[in-house]
Amino acid sequence: MSLDPTKKLDVDEILTGLADYRPKRKGWHWREAHPSEKKEGSYRYEEISKPLTQSLPLPAGRYFDNIDPQPQEIITAEIASGRFEDDLRRMRMAAWHGADHIMVIRTLGQSHFDGLLEGTPEGTGGVPITRKEIRASRKALDLIEEEVGRPINFHSYVSGIAGPEVAVLFAEEGVNGAHQDPQYNVLYRGINPIRSFVDAAVAKKLMASADILQIDGAHNANASSKIAWKVMPELLVQHAINSSFSVRAGMKKSLISLSTVPPMSSPSPSFRLNFVYALTIRELFKEFKFRAQMNTRYIEADLYDATRIHVLDAVLSRLTHADLQSTITPDEGRNVPWHINSIRGVQTAKHTLIALDGIKRYVGPKMDALKDEMRDLKIRAILYMEDILENGGYFEAVEKGFFVDSGYFPERNGDGIVRKKDGELGAGSIVPRERDYYAPVCHHYGYNALPAGVKKACDPIRGCTLDHPEKIQFLDELDENDNVEVRRAAVRESERKGLLKPEVEWKNDGIIQLDITIPDNPDIAEAAALEIANRLGLEEPTVISKTVLHPAEGTYVELKARVPFFVDRNTLRLPEKPVTLSEEEITRYVHENPLRVVAGTVGNDEHSVGIREILDIKHGGIEKFGIKYTYLGTSVPVEKMIDAAIETNSQAILCSMIITHNDVHIDEMKKIHQLCIEKGVRDRLLLIAGGTQIKNEIAIQSGMDAGFGRGTKGIDVASFIVKTLQGKKAGG
Amino acid sequence: MKTDLFEKRKQELSRLTDEELNRKFWELSEKIVDPLVKLAYENTTPSIERSVLLRMGFNSLEAKGFVDKCFERGLLGRGAGHVILKVAEELKRDYLAVGKEMAEGKHWEVAEKSFKGVKIG
Repeated sequence: MSLDPTKKLDVDEILTGLADYRPKRKGWHWREAHPSEKKEGSYRYEEISKPLTQSLPLPAGRYFDNIDPQPQEIITAEIASGRFEDDLRRMRMAAWHGADHIMVIRTLGQSHFDGLLEGTPEGTGGVPITRKEIRASRKALDLIEEEVGRPINFHSYVSGIAGPEVAVLFAEEGVNGAHQDPQYNVLYRGINPIRSFVDAAVAKKLMASADILQIDGAHNANASSKIAWKVMPELLVQHAINSSFSVRAGMKKSLISLSTVPPMSSPSPSFRLNFVYALTIRELFKEFKFRAQMNTRYIEADLYDATRIHVLDAVLSRLTHADLQSTITPDEGRNVPWHINSIRGVQTAKHTLIALDGIKRYVGPKMDALKDEMRDLKIRAILYMEDILENGGYFEAVEKGFFVDSGYFPERNGDGIVRKKDGELGAGSIVPRERDYYAPVCHHYGYNALPAGVKKACDPIRGCTLDHPEKIQFLDELDENDNVEVRRAAVRESERKGLLKPEVEWKNDGIIQLDITIPDNPDIAEAAALEIANRLGLEEPTVISKTVLHPAEGTYVELKARVPFFVDRNTLRLPEKPVTLSEEEITRYVHENPLRVVAGTVGNDEHSVGIREILDIKHGGIEKFGIKYTYLGTSVPVEKMIDAAIETNSQAILCSMIITHNDVHIDEMKKIHQLCIEKGVRDRLLLIAGGTQIKNEIAIQSGMDAGFGRGTKGIDVASFIVKTLQGKKAGG
Repeated sequence: MKTDLFEKRKQELSRLTDEELNRKFWELSEKIVDPLVKLAYENTTPSIERSVLLRMGFNSLEAKGFVDKCFERGLLGRGAGHVILKVAEELKRDYLAVGKEMAEGKHWEVAEKSFKGVKIG
């Protein structure tokens, strides 16, 4: 099975034969070196990696021969809508935009489930991580990575009260990266502190056995604390505790990645604070890897604000260093992330990292100015650790509420998270290993008394699943109502018939978003927006974001709602795509029948990029075919266009118009047509309009011979001119 | 940590070079994790033992059934996999079949006899 870019992923086929599916490979994969001196198109880069074989470039890529340079950093997309079968398709979208680290968030509450979940139940805010779900996802990613030409790292969480089992599952099923940090269990999941560390050592050793990259959890202090910069000394301490513990459990430093987030955001003077912190942590942990996450602490529901924060966060990554650039969807503050926003997150990271390629050659930190602040931060972290030790150690410090306190150390505000050493979930479940304790398996952390004569722990069972995957048992569904087959059955009919509904996360979810500006105060605007959605016949309208333009003058509202009907793709009428003549045919015709045109933007329009592309040889414009042109510039009066056409004995006028307010473009088109008639030249001149909002039908109705919209290339225009002239000739 | 003590120690640390500060940072981190590592080395938990059974080829339901019973009987400290192998050896049968049956509640008297001296719960 391989994927065809023109066809949808066949989810049913992915779900077939899972019982016997084995992952293609195991272990983390970094991006590979660029094969040809880091050159893409006509640009030389300094920090790019091997390109993809198929991908979707950034929106501006079309101005640069569609190059899609890939930064050296791994790019993460967080994908988890609760239905993994729909997430598979989003993984494919993300991979095409340059994500090669697919992070699947777990369903709410899984970290408190004492054991493994099985089957494919629907999740809330994430996916229930089960063997079947992982296997299906890995199978899909094995295909997707072949389609885009780059290995994709699949990632989830080895946290909660069943960490060691989840680690086995991940090691067996080819999961490539995972969050693992016992402090996360302790502080944010309320799991017994001792249990968390004892479990973690075994989980980490298992992860190490399969070369799974570990990401820690310290950054959560950032998202939980009231004023994020105040936890900076603590963040360093948390990273250190997990890093030291991980190395002692058998992990390689090269596969331990610190999850670090720029703590602050505008309107604080955030970049300065974030810069000091970023440099300090990178210096202290220089032997480890860095996963730069974007800040979520201050994201509200405004997508643009989130994007601005994230661009600056990625700038910080480039000015310092990151091995992975993670992305948070800008709609995290208001939705379960939607397809488009996952992709936007990836684009933001790619855009910023590529734009800043090589910038460190020119721009760097002024260490003299930074030194004192960096040392101050380190000293605070050191004294923080002395304080932990003097209070009896880690567990005692947690009991005293040292962590996630809103004070800037040594200040303490008494609002830290308190967890009891002998309390919380899973207390009393820790059992001392007896003298004859024996675990007949490989990669097992801790005391293990092998029976006499046994050399390798798993010899008596003739090998364990890590080396003998055929021993793995695959459980299918345990719940006959809550599973992927039931969900697929509900959508298969519409798929077969080609019925379409809008989609933001789940097949047939029907959700659309309306952007509405109401010239009134926020309360009225919200009510008005809902009323509009109701009158449009939309279901379950909900306002997801509001921006006050002025307390009385206006409010911008974003609203989501469900479309209650299907559209049949088979009955849609698509505009016919004009068949262009071949380049040779056009060139030959022009050679035999010299062609000349005049061109410019008409009216009060200064947008000349589009028309230049249609004309210039270097953009594949009409000049390439031998067509001569006179470019009259921008904001040319239509009279002047016509006079110039007459003077130069041209056969066509190309008028570009981007501005369409009040249908000014339609007026201009009618005017030029009318003037040509008055001057008696309409018959000998082809009138062609172009611009992003131009539609052929409207152009013709307005007196033009043709109109060309977004995405038009020189060949489309040249072909039209030649075809029309050929037709005229043929018609006499 | 009191502010005056903090200030005093900060002064002392200010005399260290960057390298010395970094080294100090990591020494302290190691000191904090020393007892945590020891705890992890010497103890086990139901999740750890279930992870052993998974690696032995049991499925998650079997692993859970077995480990719950093993924990109740105070035998987890011997190692869940160890208990199964011992019983399979006594019964001269395949360990996977025996473990599955034990997960359903069978053969525990054999286990308790084999590990005599352990308090029967």
